[in-house]
Amino acid sequence: MSQGYLEIISMNGQASIQDLGRLNAQHLGFSASGAADEFAFLSANKLINDKLAANDMSVELHNKQRHCATIEITLGQVSFEAKAACIISITGADCQAKINNVAVNHWQCYQLQAGDMLDFSMPKTGLHSYLAVLGGFTCQKAQQPWLGSYAQTINEMALGFTGEKLTVGSKLYFSAQTKGLTESASEKINKPKEANKPFKAPSQFYAQQNLTLRIMPSSLFLQMSSDQQQQFLSTEYIISPDSNRMGYRLSVSPAQILLTKSANEKILSEQLRSRCLLSMPVTYGMVQFPDNEQPIVLMKERQTMGGYPVLGTVMQTDLFRLSQMRPGEKVSFTLINHQQAQQQLIAFHQKFRP
Amino acid sequence: MNSDQNSDKNGAKNSANFTIEVVAENALLLSWQAKISLTQHNKIIALQAIIVKQLGELILETVASYHCLMVYFNPQNNTSTQAIEKIKRIAKTHNAGLEKAHGEIPKVKSLNDDCIKIPVYYDTEQEWDLADVAKRCNMSIDNVIKQHSAEIYHGFALGFTPGFCYLASLPDSLHLPRKSSPRIKVPKGAVAIAEQQSAIYPIESPGGWHIIGQTPLPMYESKNSQFNATINVGQNVQFYAITKAEFIALQQGLQA
Repeated sequence: MSQGYLEIISMNGQASIQDLGRLNAQHLGFSASGAADEFAFLSANKLINDKLAANDMSVELHNKQRHCATIEITLGQVSFEAKAACIISITGADCQAKINNVAVNHWQCYQLQAGDMLDFSMPKTGLHSYLAVLGGFTCQKAQQPWLGSYAQTINEMALGFTGEKLTVGSKLYFSAQTKGLTESASEKINKPKEANKPFKAPSQFYAQQNLTLRIMPSSLFLQMSSDQQQQFLSTEYIISPDSNRMGYRLSVSPAQILLTKSANEKILSEQLRSRCLLSMPVTYGMVQFPDNEQPIVLMKERQTMGGYPVLGTVMQTDLFRLSQMRPGEKVSFTLINHQQAQQQLIAFHQKFRP
Repeated sequence: MNSDQNSDKNGAKNSANFTIEVVAENALLLSWQAKISLTQHNKIIALQAIIVKQLGELILETVASYHCLMVYFNPQNNTSTQAIEKIKRIAKTHNAGLEKAHGEIPKVKSLNDDCIKIPVYYDTEQEWDLADVAKRCNMSIDNVIKQHSAEIYHGFALGFTPGFCYLASLPDSLHLPRKSSPRIKVPKGAVAIAEQQSAIYPIESPGGWHIIGQTPLPMYESKNSQFNATINVGQNVQFYAITKAEFIALQQGLQA
């Protein structure tokens, strides 16, 4: 079957291919990687799925579409040209997408024809936007997934398993399934000209101001004195400019530093810290606490092993929210137990089942 | 609260002497005593193999290190409580077997067939850390090379980057803390030491360990969509010194 593709015409932000990640290769040292914001990622595929369902498309297609690889666009500023007809959806940070220079809404499906232009600008809020396509993207060439995933990890690009870093001229292939749609079915998919009708974005998922990250406390945290625990939980942290897909570095505001210094007390005592010298496996959302007591929240492109003490793990649905927050924005921590976190994650995924 | 003690608190010497902690919606962390011990590590990887074999599809992934085993499970079909119960049952059932099959393994002091031999050009020319390490350890460069290459190391963990294997233990005389500020770029094949450990960087990456040499040997191979690390957890490794000319010849031979 011939492969259709989108070509990157211009690029000033960042973009990579992402799906739910490489979940069974951490024992080899591969980052799990995957979409930073799973809510936007899964929504992008669901929008296409819902269109398929509305047009009585095959069940097989639905199941495949749920976890299809998308393009994660960070801070917009990327233009694509469609080299074949396709059905796309756009979700995540509102980077004022335009199709052939006509503004279109996010959280919506569109049909592109060969030759159509798709432009993304710098979003006003948020970081990552997602571009999904019917059938999903593969690597630049029509490649097989690498260790179960198409996800690209910046630090692993040198290994050459997941194609090249996306740049001007990159071709993003998808199965040219649009021609399989009947004429009446494809007509029902929104065309760009219909794009200005009102659409309510699911903004209630994202933090409107400061985000309170709910963490499952680690055994180390539970060994801290209640004063120390309280000190950590009452601190307001600022997202540092060094944050990225690997980790969010949080710094303490100057006012908070003064408070801590006057108390002349470290949040994590040397005695407890000394028990955490050996490297151990780390997971998504773990809150590392280095000597300078400025937490690092491990995100999707984290390494598999870490050597810093861990105070707890942020629940996943809050990490999706955190991934859309920018340097300078504020977060704090509150406790949640793992049963509640687990129930919320299951409920979250339930919403994306067909 | 969410830590589950599976043994007495006095650290009794039985092979099930670990705690289970729920560390995420889909992850359990099994922790043994925080020490580098071949005996303990053999028990950890034996338990890892049994868990993978017996729990099958319930388990998504396991990652072992010096004293920990991370077990990722599918939260859709299991609560963490159920997963903990299953792991405890397996550990209990196999307790005796673990003791028998993986008791104290004497430390080998000579090369044998099971030992991966890594050629190293211990490099004094480039601006790496060999001379500095010698100075800080108060010994000659030759002595650093001799001590580093005399030891039989054991692979305790794979991680950091694909194919990066944490090797221990480095002789006491060579223990140095990590560099206070990590290098932005460490070359592919760099042989490095830090604290009680040694390792080889498989690809160019940032790194905070002290570089004492370089190997021409690749740390991974990949064919037919498979990735194979040269050194895996549980394997033994010994380094041997080669000259610059041998390093270049080997490197060219491997590229051909």
